[in-house]
Amino acid sequence: MQADFALNIRDLSVEVGGRPYVRDVSLAIPKGEIHCLLGPNGSGKTTVLRTIYRALRPSAGTIVADGRGIDECSHHEWAQKAGALVQSSGLLAGLTPEDIVEIGLSVLGLSGADLARRRDEALALVGLSEKRGQPADRLSGGELQRCYFAQLLASDPEIYILDEPTNHLDLHYQLVLLNEVKRRGRTVLMTLHDLNLVARYCDHIHLMSGGKIVDRGKPSDVLTRQNLMTHFLVDAYFDAQSLVIAGPVVT
Amino acid sequence: MQSRFLVLFPTAMVAMLLVAIAGVLWGTADISWSDRFAILIRAEDAPRGLSLIVWQWRIPRVLAVGLIGAGLALAGALMQTALRNPMADPYLMGLSSGASAAAVAAIIWLPASVTEVLGVPVIAFTGAAVAFLMTLGLSQQRGHQIDPLVVILAGVAVSLMFQSVTAFFLYIGDPHVTRNALGWLMGTAAGTEWRELPLLALSLAVIASLSLLRSDALDATLLGEEHAQALGIRTGRLRVMIFVATVVLTGLAVSIAGIVGFIGLIVPHMARLLVGARHKVLLPLSMVLGAIVLMAVDLLCRTLLAPQELPLGVLLALFAAPPFIIILRGLRRAS
Repeated sequence: MQADFALNIRDLSVEVGGRPYVRDVSLAIPKGEIHCLLGPNGSGKTTVLRTIYRALRPSAGTIVADGRGIDECSHHEWAQKAGALVQSSGLLAGLTPEDIVEIGLSVLGLSGADLARRRDEALALVGLSEKRGQPADRLSGGELQRCYFAQLLASDPEIYILDEPTNHLDLHYQLVLLNEVKRRGRTVLMTLHDLNLVARYCDHIHLMSGGKIVDRGKPSDVLTRQNLMTHFLVDAYFDAQSLVIAGPVVT
Repeated sequence: MQSRFLVLFPTAMVAMLLVAIAGVLWGTADISWSDRFAILIRAEDAPRGLSLIVWQWRIPRVLAVGLIGAGLALAGALMQTALRNPMADPYLMGLSSGASAAAVAAIIWLPASVTEVLGVPVIAFTGAAVAFLMTLGLSQQRGHQIDPLVVILAGVAVSLMFQSVTAFFLYIGDPHVTRNALGWLMGTAAGTEWRELPLLALSLAVIASLSLLRSDALDATLLGEEHAQALGIRTGRLRVMIFVATVVLTGLAVSIAGIVGFIGLIVPHMARLLVGARHKVLLPLSMVLGAIVLMAVDLLCRTLLAPQELPLGVLLALFAAPPFIIILRGLRRAS
């Protein structure tokens, strides 16, 4: 059964510094679907993603991609299967957007004409062709996010792991880049805070709270007024795919 | 940037060769031009005394400062990548303070017979290694990966501790012995012997080759810890390799020439400004520039006040200040 799913997580628990951050999380994503981990701050969404891209080790449970467990694959093999867009700060002095995309491709073993073609296409997709040779440490936050997005689109793995992919992006590029991800038909697991984007792009939601999954289903089933009040402390509801917000719940 | 490397690297190699030749031809001893060339080609009629100066004194010294300059620049570039901190340098992890404290304690406190047997270089290397292990130990946090900022702060703490040890021994020491120790603290390659070179040359060759083989992984590390991990890089393992490489290169450099500051901090920045931050071009150019700078500074130290010699630290600090200010201004603009 596991091989039917592009990504299958069973009974995942993660501890950081001896403290449990994620407990008994199970989720399975059929090939080509876009799933979202949703929940308030500190609910464990990013911890699940960090474990999938191997920044953390699970204390229990299994993660299987295309029938192979995370521990059966080398780090390099796993990165080729499941590519991630992460929130991370680096030392960018001396690098250009072109370099950043190339680094992602060469680490994954690409070189020569194939690398150049993928790099140029990805930079064009994110609208950075003209800034390709500029210093990366002078880019705005949104431009840098587009640059990292270009790196992922260029390597185009089977599974996309996206941690807040719309961070710093203006509305135009939020739509352009999420449209591109959807168009490619890859399997996606992401976190998003913008509930309108969740409703627009996600096939399935896993609602997290306190390190556990507390509800799951289609956006219309999960994004209920009750869930939004209980877990997000917001009095809001969806009307024709648009979030109508009355205000925060006073606690 | 990489096309610039294809022009700059051969140019820098030629410059390195010219500075090395200058370092051999000039020095405190006044040798005529005809004698210089006779000595270099080992002609039969070359004066024996002067030949000894060139072959047993100048050539090993020029090679040593070249290798030390290249090694410290390589170690600096690797540390800046591992800690993703532009102000990181090879001495950051308490290495120089550990080496200094051990060497000064040995020179001032230990009986001369013991220091003679062990040798100040070995004692200094041990001090550097102990300081490194202490910094690494203090940087560990249970259940967490090593945080670059914690490493830097741990390095500062260890440095402060060893600096107080050094200050104590300098204060209680006999003035004549203290002067000897101070000379070592300010760096000098005087008296380098041929037998000291093979280990440094071999270590540099091995570490440089391994670093170039892992240049893609080092590039990915620049993008951030988690970003590199998401690209399949085992960042913890890579960082330990870099730390060990830094200790070996810096420890060997310290054991031969004492404390040689600023090269590891400034030279990688110069190289980054010229060819960018991709390691396959950054590391080779950093090494060549490091060799050029230290060989040139050593030559000036030998000739400016000849027959008296200046310690390397005096001129290095002078040369490091202007590029340091330029780098700081660049960092401020970028932030």
